[in-house]
Amino acid sequence: MTRKKKQKHYGNVRPKNYRAIYEEKFYNILFQLRYPLMTVIFFTTLGVLILMIINNKSDGESVLNYFFHTVITFSTVGYTEGYQTDPSHLMVNRFFATVFIIVAIPFVYMYGLVTTVNVFMNSNIDEIYRYWRMYKAMEKLKGHYIICRFNGITKELMKNLKRRGIKFVLIEPDASLEKEIREFGVEYYVIDEPHKRSVLLGVGIEQAKGVITAFEENTQDLSVIVTARLIRPDKDSFMVFATATTEGAAEKMKLLGANEVIVPDISVGRRMTSFVLHPPSPVLSGFLEKIAYGERTDIDIIEINVGENSDLVGKKLKEINMRQETGATVVAIIRADGKMKIAPSGETEIKKGDSLIILGHPKALRRAEEFFEHHKIEEVEAT
Amino acid sequence: MINWGKVWSDFFIFLALTSNVGFIFSHDPYQLVIAIGVNLLATVLKFGAKKILAAELLATALVADLHLIPATILYFMETHVPLAIGLAIGAAVANVISIIMLIIEVIFEYHKEEEI
Repeated sequence: MTRKKKQKHYGNVRPKNYRAIYEEKFYNILFQLRYPLMTVIFFTTLGVLILMIINNKSDGESVLNYFFHTVITFSTVGYTEGYQTDPSHLMVNRFFATVFIIVAIPFVYMYGLVTTVNVFMNSNIDEIYRYWRMYKAMEKLKGHYIICRFNGITKELMKNLKRRGIKFVLIEPDASLEKEIREFGVEYYVIDEPHKRSVLLGVGIEQAKGVITAFEENTQDLSVIVTARLIRPDKDSFMVFATATTEGAAEKMKLLGANEVIVPDISVGRRMTSFVLHPPSPVLSGFLEKIAYGERTDIDIIEINVGENSDLVGKKLKEINMRQETGATVVAIIRADGKMKIAPSGETEIKKGDSLIILGHPKALRRAEEFFEHHKIEEVEAT
Repeated sequence: MINWGKVWSDFFIFLALTSNVGFIFSHDPYQLVIAIGVNLLATVLKFGAKKILAAELLATALVADLHLIPATILYFMETHVPLAIGLAIGAAVANVISIIMLIIEVIFEYHKEEEI
C-alpha cells in the first residue's frame, strides 16, 4: 500500500490525545456495568412476562402493575402485590413471587444493583470529568507556552505568567508531584515525558508560542529543546528558553536551537555582585529589575528596532512627538554598532539600525509599537 | 476456533431484530415485552466494546431503544396503537442496520488478520 499523505519533516508521529484517554476511562466504567445491568433487565423482563402468563392478562394497566410488582420485589422494597388479583390466580401468583424472590434477590439485588452502585462509587467519575474538561479546554489553547518540570524556577515563572494572563501548559514527568501541582493552581497540566514528540504535539506545540524547559539535568533539557525544534524549526515564531547548569551546556543548547539559556548559578552570582557594587536604596531597590522581571503589571519595558526604511531616521527625538502621541518614553538608544546611549535628550538624532528602549504602561507600549510600524509602512509605499 | 463471547453478543443482536419483527407481525403484548427486554440487553451488551464500529453499533442500539420505549408506552395505553407499530418498525430498521455493521466489522477484522 502506498501512503499518499506526505510524511512530516519530524516523522510520522501522532499527537497524544489526552481528552480521549479520559473519554475511554469513562467508557470503561460503562463496560463494568454491562453484566450487572443485563441481569437487572433480564429478570425484570422475565418477571413481567411470567406474571402476564400466569394471570393471563395483557392489558396496559396489568402490565404496569406487573412491572411495578417485579421492581418492588427484586429491590427488596416489597409491599404485597398492590393491585387486585383474580382470586383464582392468587395462589399461583404468590408461589411465583416466592420463587422469584429467592432467585432474583441474589442475582438482581446483590449482584446487579449493588455492583452498579459500587462501580459508580469506586470509579471517580467526577475526577474523570475534571480531567476531561481540562483537556478539552487545553485543545483550544493558542499562543500559549509549554513549561517543562514543576520546580522552584517554573513555580515563580507560572506565578508571573498567571498575573499577566498568559496561558501555559505544564508537563511534569513525575506523577508524585500531581497533588502539589493541583494545589498550586496550575490550570492545564499533563503528567508525561516532555521529550516525546507525541506529548509535545498533544499539548498543542503547533499553536504554541514557546517552550520553557527548566530541568535539573542538562540532558533532559537538551532532549526537550531538540524535540521542540524538530517540530517548530523557526526561531522567530517559536521561542525556546532553557536553564543549564554550566556555561558549556548553555552554549550547546543555544547551538541546538534554544533562543535564550540561563545558568541559574551565574545569574544569581551576578545579582549578588550588583548588590555589592550598588548598595540597595530603600526606594529604588529592585525597581528596574521588577520591571525587567515583569513583576509590575502597570509598567513595562520593550526594545523596538527602528529599521532601515523608516521616515523617522534622521529626525531628532523631540521632532517625532512619540511621547505626546503614545505616552511611552524613550529611555535609551542602542546604536547599530552596539553602543548604548542612556537617557537621550530631545536633540538626539535617530540613525539607521537604531534600537530604542521604551518604558511605559503596557497600553502605551502597544501604541508605541503601532507608531513605529506606521512610520515603516509609509516609507515602503513611498518608494 | 469459535469465539463464544461473539456468539453471546451476536445472539442478542439477532434476537433483538427477530423479536421485534415478531411483534410487528403479531401485535402481541407478550412479544412486545420480550422485544423491549432483548433490545435493552443488546444495548447494554455493547457498552465498553472496543471495536472499529463500536460507537455506531451503540448508537443504532440506542435508536432502537428510543423507538421501542415510546412504542411500549403507547401500546399499553391503547391510544395510538398504529403509531406504536410504526415505531417498532423503525426500531427494526435500526436493528437491521446494526446487523449490517456487524457484518462490515467482521470483514474489517478478517482483513486485519491478513495484514498481520
